[in-house]
Amino acid sequence: MLEKIANPDEIRRWDGDLPVRHRYTPGVAGEAFFTALRDRGVLLGSRCTNCDYTYVPARLFCERCFSELSADTEVGPDGELVSFTILFEGIEGEPLDLPQVIGAIRLVGADAVLIHRVLDLTDEPLEIGERVEIALKPEADRTGSILDIEGFRRAGS
Amino acid sequence: MARRVAVVGAGMTKFVRRAQETGKELSWHASREALASCELALDDVDAVCLTSAPDAFDGVHMKGEYLSDGAGAFGKPFMRTYVGGGSGVFTAIQAYYTVASGMADVVLAVAEEKMSSTQPHPQGAFLTIFDNVLERPLGPNLLWIFALEMNRYMTVHGIDKRDIAAVAVKNKQNAADHPAALLGQADITVEDVLASETLAWPVQRLDVSPISDGAVALVVASEDAAKKITSDPVWIQGVGWNLDTAYWTNRDLVFPEYVANAARMAYDMAGVTEPRKQIHVAEPYDPFDYKELHHLEGLLLFDKGKAPEAARDGVLDRKGDLPSSPSGGLLGVGNPIAAAGLMKIAELFWQLRGEAGARQVPGTPERGVAQAWGDLMQVGTVVVMGRDGGPPTTATQLESPPTATPGRSLSDAEFRSATGAVDDEVGARYEWDAGVAIARFLDGLRGGMLLGRQCRNCERVLVPPRMFCERCFRGTDAWVQVEDTGVVQTFSICHVSWDMQPLDVPSLPAVIAIDGSDGGFLHVLGEVAPDDVSIGMAVEAVWKPVGARTGSILDIAHFRPRREA
Repeated sequence: MLEKIANPDEIRRWDGDLPVRHRYTPGVAGEAFFTALRDRGVLLGSRCTNCDYTYVPARLFCERCFSELSADTEVGPDGELVSFTILFEGIEGEPLDLPQVIGAIRLVGADAVLIHRVLDLTDEPLEIGERVEIALKPEADRTGSILDIEGFRRAGS
Repeated sequence: MARRVAVVGAGMTKFVRRAQETGKELSWHASREALASCELALDDVDAVCLTSAPDAFDGVHMKGEYLSDGAGAFGKPFMRTYVGGGSGVFTAIQAYYTVASGMADVVLAVAEEKMSSTQPHPQGAFLTIFDNVLERPLGPNLLWIFALEMNRYMTVHGIDKRDIAAVAVKNKQNAADHPAALLGQADITVEDVLASETLAWPVQRLDVSPISDGAVALVVASEDAAKKITSDPVWIQGVGWNLDTAYWTNRDLVFPEYVANAARMAYDMAGVTEPRKQIHVAEPYDPFDYKELHHLEGLLLFDKGKAPEAARDGVLDRKGDLPSSPSGGLLGVGNPIAAAGLMKIAELFWQLRGEAGARQVPGTPERGVAQAWGDLMQVGTVVVMGRDGGPPTTATQLESPPTATPGRSLSDAEFRSATGAVDDEVGARYEWDAGVAIARFLDGLRGGMLLGRQCRNCERVLVPPRMFCERCFRGTDAWVQVEDTGVVQTFSICHVSWDMQPLDVPSLPAVIAIDGSDGGFLHVLGEVAPDDVSIGMAVEAVWKPVGARTGSILDIAHFRPRREA
């Protein structure tokens, strides 16, 4: 029953795509977070007093108890490095000129963890639990994007 | 023995063209409102059932997991189901069996859709539902399916377009009383519908439901739990779902057999033996106006071809003998795909409790049916709901739900300038293999032949060929060559591309019954004026010159009216 492909070059293929683009708007809580980041250079989280948990970025609701939240809690700018990875390849598998460090950072005053870049590697190895501090773009260059934060670097470095 | 299952609460957001809220935020609003409506907290929920249509709409891969926090799924058993447009009604079925089986006592069922993220048009997400090798080279758009079905339905039954337009009028008028509606319009007329832009004849702009964002949620409970939660549960008496052939051109385009099969399953479970007497209110799926009629017939509530007369004569009006889409339906409330289906279940809940306010159907409706349709346009999902004894007579004094209706609409300018917004694309490209049967078929086309496969068991000849028969589930038996002639089963005159841009020259898609084969074959017509095309017309393939053929469906340039040899 099965028909054997003798010559793989004869396999018929059609090239195509899924021609959609997306525009993601950040929603009610997201707009508050990005506006504060751009205009004031601060990170806004949302505190659920019911669950004793602070989310960052800000959220409209608590996923634990469903309470309504607001962007009411400023967190950071310092934080703790909860974990990190060092990338030697890009998304297509291409080698990177300089390794890139991605960190999971728990900002002071927050329970949730933020993923961002860790900057300015030195010969001294990074350690989980280290204190890091935020590196913001200058106010004039901020657009309301997660990249308004350039990254985090070792505190006091 | 399955346990009895009831709906005890419902909530929804406004349906809007572009919500400021994210999909998670919409889901949370609807979920919280549903819980509040029956005074439950998230802790009271044992499991969460979620649905949302293609990931490509929101542009989030694994959208179920993305939406899970807004649906209250944190730390709970959770599953997203998905049957295309049928999803909204199906998630109520999923909640039903989760509770009926004893797996959970209280389930939150949530349906969300955020179509506004998709650029340039959500139809782009649908293009790959067409066969990538055999259909997509013809330049199809989603309207083709509806236009082709609508034309054949109208032609076979001799239906007046005015009677179909009456459904759009009714639903947009009904929606004027719905606080969550996007397109309610109390003063719309049949003339307005008939005067609207023709998109893909016979489909006009106002025959079609709008692209929307929104979310709906239900609280579903076991009998014991329901009786503790409310004195007024609405029972899910029967559920049904059914799938037709995977090849849409091979379906009966006049009668939705898959809906009828799903309805029979649900009616049997509900003990409904005479649906026309025992169903008092209906919420059939109405993404297009003719589909409501198509589906009312599929739900066995009207004889084949007779639903349009009912629309014309007011039988389907809110105060008619069989109120249909008293909510305003997808045409009026809006069509955030998965959410729209669950909205229909929520409407039955409110109607059967006598809580629909200005939308309340008169009398004491004891039982209703809701239905949706989707997948590759071949699934029917049906839920029968009832309230023992009909709504309490005092209940019509209640405020019209949904009461809070959060969901803020963004203007074009706000959408373009929203702080923090990101533009991106999936950036995925594909190479689709033709496979065994179609590779040989394409070789045949290059040689100027139409090849089919014969199934000797069900005595059908399949063109395009398939290596297995989906009915008999056995290998097909032999290659056969068929004539390159056939008969037009249905056609459309399409004036827009998939992203709704006007075409300079309208395309003429047609489903053709190839002589000597069974089923329908999709191609385009040429060498004929659109006004001269008719269903039943004999046509023949016009082949590209031998040297120009590449082994593609486009080796047939088009079909033209058959010339006598």
